[in-house]
Amino acid sequence: MNVLGVETSCDETSVSIVRDGNVVLANEVLSQIDIHKVYGGVVPEIASREHIKGITYVFDQAMKKANLNFEDIDLIAVTKGPGLIGSLLIGINAAKVISLNYGIPIIGVHHISGHIYANYIEQGMEFPILALVVSGGHTELILMKEHYDFTKLGETQDDAVGEAYDKIARVLGLEYPGGPVVDRLAGGGEDNLDFPRPMINSNDFNFSFSGLKSHVINTHHNMKQRNEKINIDDFCASFQEAVTDVLVKKTIQAKNKYKVKQVIVAGGVAANSGLRKKMKAKITDIPVYFPKMQYCTDNAAMIAAAGYFQYKKNGESDDLYINGYSRLDLE
Amino acid sequence: MKKSLKRLAIDTATKYIYLALMIDDKEVSSIYQEGDNNHSVTIIPLLAELLKNAEISLQDLDEIIVGVGPGSYTGVRIGVTVGKMIGYLNNINIYQVSSLALLASTSKQKYILPLIDARRNNAFMAFFNQKKRKLTYLKNDTLENIESFKSNIIEKYEVIEFGKPNLKKIIDSNLMVKIEDIHNLTPNYLRITEAERNLK
Ligand SMILES: [Zn+2]
Repeated sequence: MNVLGVETSCDETSVSIVRDGNVVLANEVLSQIDIHKVYGGVVPEIASREHIKGITYVFDQAMKKANLNFEDIDLIAVTKGPGLIGSLLIGINAAKVISLNYGIPIIGVHHISGHIYANYIEQGMEFPILALVVSGGHTELILMKEHYDFTKLGETQDDAVGEAYDKIARVLGLEYPGGPVVDRLAGGGEDNLDFPRPMINSNDFNFSFSGLKSHVINTHHNMKQRNEKINIDDFCASFQEAVTDVLVKKTIQAKNKYKVKQVIVAGGVAANSGLRKKMKAKITDIPVYFPKMQYCTDNAAMIAAAGYFQYKKNGESDDLYINGYSRLDLE
Repeated sequence: MKKSLKRLAIDTATKYIYLALMIDDKEVSSIYQEGDNNHSVTIIPLLAELLKNAEISLQDLDEIIVGVGPGSYTGVRIGVTVGKMIGYLNNINIYQVSSLALLASTSKQKYILPLIDARRNNAFMAFFNQKKRKLTYLKNDTLENIESFKSNIIEKYEVIEFGKPNLKKIIDSNLMVKIEDIHNLTPNYLRITEAERNLK
C-alpha cells in the first residue's frame, strides 16, 4: 500500500511516499529554519507564506524521487494537528485536492503519533511500548499496548523541553534553534552549576521545566551583575544534565511499572546527543530506539507510516470536511 | 466537433467562498456563499458538489482562474492552495486575478471602488472605471486608510464589499494574468508581515 504523507504543521513543508508503513520511497522536506532564525523563533504568518510558496514544488520532487504517479497512491495521510493552524490548513487543503482529483481516500493524522511511528520505519514495534515524546511543543510519556493505541501517562505542566532549550539559548546569546547549539556546547562544558531537577521525585509521570528555565536565567543574570566570568559551555552542560536526568528517570520508572518491551524516544529533542547517551547507558534490559536524525525533526514519512497503521486499525478514512486543529489530544 | 473550454474560478479572499464553472463562454454553475470563517472545511466539499452537478471531474478542466487577494491572509491562502494544486496536478493553464477586480465585476456603475476591510480604518481597495461592461483600473490594489483613499477620488462611485463576481466581465476586461510556472503562484498580500516590519 503506497501512502502519500503530507506534513505542514510548523516550519517544514514535507511530502513523502511510504509503502506499507516502512519502505520510504521519498521523503522531501523543505525547511524554513534559516528564514525564521533571524526572528529567534517560528513566525506563524511567515511559516504559512512559505508553505504556500513551496507546496506544489515539494509534491513534484517527492513524486519524481519515488518515480510514481498520483494514480499509484492508495491513501493520503495528512497532519491534522496539533500545530500552527494557518500552516496546517495548507497541507490539509492540498491533500484534499489530491483526494478529490484522483478519488484517493484521505486520513487525518495526529502529529505526535507521526513522531512515534518514525521509529517503525527503522525498527518495527514490539508491544507494549513506552514512548517519550520530546520536542519544541511536547514533553509526554505515552504507553502503547498495540498498534495505534495511545495512553498518555504524563506530560509537561508548563514548557516543553525544546521550548526550554530555545529560551536558554536566547539568554545565553546563542542562535535559534537552541537545541542543537546547547547540545554541542554542553559537550565541552562541565555540570558544575548545581541546577535543580524539577519534579524528579514526584510520584507521577509529569514534567516541569519552567522553574529550571527561570533558575538558569537568574543564575546567568546574577553572575553578570557580579561581573563573574560566565562559562557558556558549563551553563549548557549543567542545563542539559538537569533536563536529561529528569527525562531518563521518569522514563525508567514508567518502563518498570508497565513492563514494556521497547522504549521509543521521539520528536525533535530525540536528536539530542546527551539524551541519547544517557538513555542508552541507563536502560540496558530492553531496547531503546531513537529515530534516524532525518526522522526526528518534522517530516512526512512519519505521518505516512502512522497513517498506514491508523487506516489499517480502523479501516476507514476521513471525508472531505476534514479540518486542522492547533490543539489536539492524541488519545 | 470543437472541444469545449472548461474553466474553474476560485476566490476565498473575503468571507465568501466563490466557485464558478465556465464552459466556453457560459457560466454553467457557481457557488457564492458565506464561509463562516471556515473556508478550509467547506471549500473542497462545495467544489465536489459543483463538479458533480455539472457532471465533470477536476481532470476534465482546461483552465483555472484564482483570486490571489488582496484580502484575508488565511482566507486567500485556502483558495490559492486549492487552485495551485488543481493546476499542478492536471498540468493546465492557471491565471491569477485580483480579488478586488472580482468584487468590482459585480457592479454596473461607471466608477467602482471595491473594498475589503482590513481593520483599524484600513482596507484593501482599488478604483475602476467601467465602459461597455469592460473594467479598467484607475487606481491599483492598495492597502491604506479608507478615508484618505476616498478623499483623493472626485468621481461619483459605488463601493462594493461583497457580491458574486461576473467572470465573463473579468475575462473580457483582460484582468487576468497567466502564470508561466505554477510553482511561482502565491497570494498578493500587499504587505510584508509584522515580524519583517519590526526587523527593519
Ligand atoms: Zn514535531
